[in-house]
Amino acid sequence: MKGLHVYGVSHFRGDKQILDNASLLVPAGELSCLLGPSGCGKTTLLRLTAGLERLQTGKILIDDLVVADENLHVPTELRGIGLMFQDYALFPHLSILDNVTFGIRGVSGTEARRRAMEMLDQVSMTDHASKHPHMLSGGQQQRVALARALAPLPKLLLLDEPFSGLDANMREQIREETLSVLKQSGVATVMVTHDPEEAMFMADRIKILGTNGRMLQTGRPHDIYFHPQHRLVAKMFGLMNRFESVVDGGYVDTPLGRLRAPEFEEGQQVEVLVRPEGVLLVSDGGDGVPVEVQSTHLLGHDNIVRVRLTNDIENDANKNELYVRVHHAFEPELSRMITAGVDSRYTFIYALKKNRAENTDPAIRADRSKLHSSKSMRLEIEP
Amino acid sequence: MVELTESFLLESDILDKDHQQLADILNEIVRAIDDGNAGECKQLVPKFVQAAKAHFAKEEAFLVKIGYPNVKKHKEHHRGLNDKMDHMLEFGRMAEENELARESLRKELLFFLMDDVITSDLEFKQFIVHNKASQKS
Repeated sequence: MKGLHVYGVSHFRGDKQILDNASLLVPAGELSCLLGPSGCGKTTLLRLTAGLERLQTGKILIDDLVVADENLHVPTELRGIGLMFQDYALFPHLSILDNVTFGIRGVSGTEARRRAMEMLDQVSMTDHASKHPHMLSGGQQQRVALARALAPLPKLLLLDEPFSGLDANMREQIREETLSVLKQSGVATVMVTHDPEEAMFMADRIKILGTNGRMLQTGRPHDIYFHPQHRLVAKMFGLMNRFESVVDGGYVDTPLGRLRAPEFEEGQQVEVLVRPEGVLLVSDGGDGVPVEVQSTHLLGHDNIVRVRLTNDIENDANKNELYVRVHHAFEPELSRMITAGVDSRYTFIYALKKNRAENTDPAIRADRSKLHSSKSMRLEIEP
Repeated sequence: MVELTESFLLESDILDKDHQQLADILNEIVRAIDDGNAGECKQLVPKFVQAAKAHFAKEEAFLVKIGYPNVKKHKEHHRGLNDKMDHMLEFGRMAEENELARESLRKELLFFLMDDVITSDLEFKQFIVHNKASQKS
């Protein structure tokens, strides 16, 4: 298969496991993002693919050719890859044209310069060909770095946090341009990022790593956002409303109402996560529970509204608030009572520990008895 | 078109044959789309999904039989693919009318088979190879 195929990769530094049976598949023309918190192993996987570190276990193939396994290590420069880093890594003493020409091998100087100019044209930088890197802005340097990475016609392009050095406005513009150039080039691309929105914007497919290099989920941006299979994946996209509850007759009770949970065993203790956009506010009655508006925070297109549940028996000010994302035009008055419901598309339920009969941990037992006696749920806001 | 080159083989006749069958149906679907017969996806995608589910059941039984220690985790992985199969069925129903659905279906099928199914199965390739070797000796 044209593109990248990585499988069975485990990696240790000393006693610390960095990757645990990691895999990655990127067909030619597709862009996959490795997403995860610092230290999850995503950059290590990129470096192993690039040949910047020696593979300990597993196999890496590019266009069906093995470039690394336990016994083989093809050097970086012979793998047919392009690299692009956060700091651009342009040669300061070379002109922009010479920077882009630098990696082109096996053709005449004239042909190399022609191809370099063609790449500079693709990133709208031909007017700057004779300048030196220090004369360009960060965004312009990033465009040149992309042209340089693609000029040798690599089979695979590896991008390590390529936009994190840019300010917010420039970042959006450059990543749109980069995406367009990459789609035209048809090269298989792997991008490492810790920014979930950036991964959603750029990727055909996202691979999420947790701590110790554990693969948590792989899928389209749609799968990751609407069908997170792990609580850590669900919580990657910012604020989350969280409740704890117990499965009762295939349902769980939450302060926002009853939710179906047919896939869990009876008595299973669960956590319920609801995205702020999954809480529906109605200002003039309707189905739902009464809530009191505490504050509103304008974020531009959206408002974040903080509301207090009034049906929570625990009556703990820190534990009965919800964050709700609404259109900016909806700006309810402070202290006003309105109604809140829940949209199941933004609601996710995960098992907590073992089921009730098996829980012997005192803390969990105490918690459970509270759940039983109060018939209410613990609620926390996850930052 | 998908071709199961060496790096996608598990060296288990029973499982490699299943994977090849899935690849054949996938190629049938891609051919139907390329030839302007996307309406056939309404029958072909359910055929693919049915074959995938049958493969999962067969594979799970096989792994139990050979004593693979991470069967439970692999079963959970299979269960986690249900949403993706539902999406593919939806794309298949819409493929005749909708270009975006055709493109999404093409991509999803490729990633599903080559990454979610086969590359995930490669996790136990070494176990199968060792198991075979120990049976011979």
